[in-house]
Amino acid sequence: MKVGIPGGLLYFRYGRLWNSFLNALGAEVVESGETTRSILTSGVSKAENESCLPVKVFYGHVLALKDKVDALFVPRLVSVKKNTHTCPKMLGLPDMAKSAVGEKVDIIAPTIDFHFGLWTNYRAVYSTGRRFTRNPAKIISSGIEAWKEHGSYLEKLTMGVDHKQALEGGSEQRLCEGRELRVGVIGHHYNVYDTFTTMSLLERLGAMGVDVMTADMVPETLRELELKKLPQEIYWSYEQEIAGAILACGRYKLVDGIIFMISFPCGPDSIIRVLCEQEIRSMDTVPMMTLVMDEHTGEGGFLTRIEAFVDMLRRKKDRAEADNRVVVAV
Amino acid sequence: MKISWPHMGSLEVVLASVFEELGLEYVPAPPNSERTLELGARYGPEFACFPLKTTLGNFIEAIEAGADTLIMVAGRGPCRFGYYAETQRRILEDAGYEFEMVPLTFHLGKMPLLMRQLRRLKQSASWTSLARAVKIALSKAYLIDRLEQQALHQRYLDRDKGATTSALKECYEMVFQCDGYDRLRRVEREGFELLHSVPKTERQPIKIGIIGEFYLVLEPFFNLQVEEQLGYLGAYVERNIYLTDWLRPSGNKPIAGHHDSESEEAARPYLTHAVGGEGLHSVGNTVLFHRHGFDGVVHLMPFTCMPETIAKSILPMVSQDLGIPVLSLVIDEMTGKAGVATRLEAFVDLAHFRRRAHRQELPLAPQPAF
Ligand code: SF4
Ligand code: SF4
Repeated sequence: MKVGIPGGLLYFRYGRLWNSFLNALGAEVVESGETTRSILTSGVSKAENESCLPVKVFYGHVLALKDKVDALFVPRLVSVKKNTHTCPKMLGLPDMAKSAVGEKVDIIAPTIDFHFGLWTNYRAVYSTGRRFTRNPAKIISSGIEAWKEHGSYLEKLTMGVDHKQALEGGSEQRLCEGRELRVGVIGHHYNVYDTFTTMSLLERLGAMGVDVMTADMVPETLRELELKKLPQEIYWSYEQEIAGAILACGRYKLVDGIIFMISFPCGPDSIIRVLCEQEIRSMDTVPMMTLVMDEHTGEGGFLTRIEAFVDMLRRKKDRAEADNRVVVAV
Repeated sequence: MKISWPHMGSLEVVLASVFEELGLEYVPAPPNSERTLELGARYGPEFACFPLKTTLGNFIEAIEAGADTLIMVAGRGPCRFGYYAETQRRILEDAGYEFEMVPLTFHLGKMPLLMRQLRRLKQSASWTSLARAVKIALSKAYLIDRLEQQALHQRYLDRDKGATTSALKECYEMVFQCDGYDRLRRVEREGFELLHSVPKTERQPIKIGIIGEFYLVLEPFFNLQVEEQLGYLGAYVERNIYLTDWLRPSGNKPIAGHHDSESEEAARPYLTHAVGGEGLHSVGNTVLFHRHGFDGVVHLMPFTCMPETIAKSILPMVSQDLGIPVLSLVIDEMTGKAGVATRLEAFVDLAHFRRRAHRQELPLAPQPAF
């Protein structure tokens, strides 16, 4: 059976897990690959106008695979951590995919919910496996293998390996090489790692001589520490990560500046943004810039803003260093 | 301490009667207006939900009117509603207003917190009097909901345009004034009599259901009075949600006449998982409305609302499968009443046309619609 994995949304977090699981089960996996102009265009025309950019991109990926596969693999992630939810759009994703492709293509949509721990998902994983093999041992070993792969992929991301490399198993290209300036680029995985919709932001920052720190690279303990200080806990799984990373970056000055990447019109981020901007302002440690991306964002204006921000950070840093020198001289 | 809260349909009557009963001071937020929206849009975050902005506007106007304690419901996801209170507190503090926000958390694990918050609100009043006040307020709300439903069912028969609406306004007043259950029972009789006595004409109705995000369905000012507009266009209207139905934790919806599980069941072929807010029920109720012989469904959705965006992307499939026309109205601060009126008119025409073309007359249920 040919199974397609659309390369949008949570693919940027679990792609490796899904791919190796299905592969180990003996399915013929077809990926839609990276986002391209035509994927974006077809997604934008098919999706609801009110959808957020990543969902539109996801539609594009689904449409690109539609005629090539027998089934699409679109898991429904309800929660990836106790007491949290993912975004509603992710809860409805398989059904939206179904409405996009119609009856022709089967949608494989195991419901994954970590609210009650890892093992409650056994059933969902097992029933997915049963579609490909009758051998329970094979399902279990595929699951374990995939989980290990996923673990090493995530670890690479925390070490700052470039996303594409980590996905392919390599680890040469680093986002962080100890250059003089370091910028936190924080946002959902698909808002940060998708080279097309971000217009190669990470690469470009690298070319400008700037180290990049993503939310994955911010130590989890620091993130959790920051989240505990909030008066009301955030109940979205990925927003916890984002807000925790931004606040930790600000509090412990892990970076020289923060770029908060948001897609228009993202629901959870519109709320978290208020919180982050206020907290960062009151900490007054590092500057933060919020970039809102949509399908109409022009490359020119986007680049100008990034360059201006980086220049500002450079000047600020130089000034601070100059001040320090004076102190030393005295 | 002067308490205030945001508007949402008849919520005003409920809460005001609670505080009135307890003898506590409260300041009702000034009625929703263009200014409310303008304030909300000015201070509210870009592409936050529409209700967040409007209720923020309510809060600002309430503070200006002298309120210093703001009530808001808080909770947990997955949609944004649970984080309104915290976000609005931050925004208002940034804007330099002085107030205290009391986010009421209705969540089993957070009971002690809720008790603390309620104690702060009720001040010296006793717990029993609070319970009594809430109970009678809910009875009032239940009555109001049924009166509103009656108005929805009969507005299209008005001989003089607007007669039902003004009768309904009178009913609100009567319900609000009454204290004690005896009076309430009398008001119930009088209210229904008043509505029934509105002069009527003969008219063939078409049946239109309203679904969508609860705030927008319940708040007539911001949904641009779709219910009234539809009534004047000759539609027998039913909505999927009423205030007391919404407040019921059991999932039973006695006024709308179904149980949540029924609508979830109905939605199953199209949407199999809850998506927060009313998303799942918007889909399910469309199916239910179709089963009960409705000619069309109007879907109200605040711009950027996540659950309803999902519903909106699935509803075309439902509409095609079942042959029931669905009109999705996306509402935000730019939406003009005139544009909506034209679309509703065209929609009602379409529904009329389809009814004539495809369907035999269906008998009209006199009371509950389904
Ligand atoms: S979290 Fe935001 S960007 Fe992601 S799917 Fe939800 S609304 Fe879209
Ligand atoms: S249901 Fe929609 S409008 Fe209401 S709070 Fe949730 S996202 Fe916002």
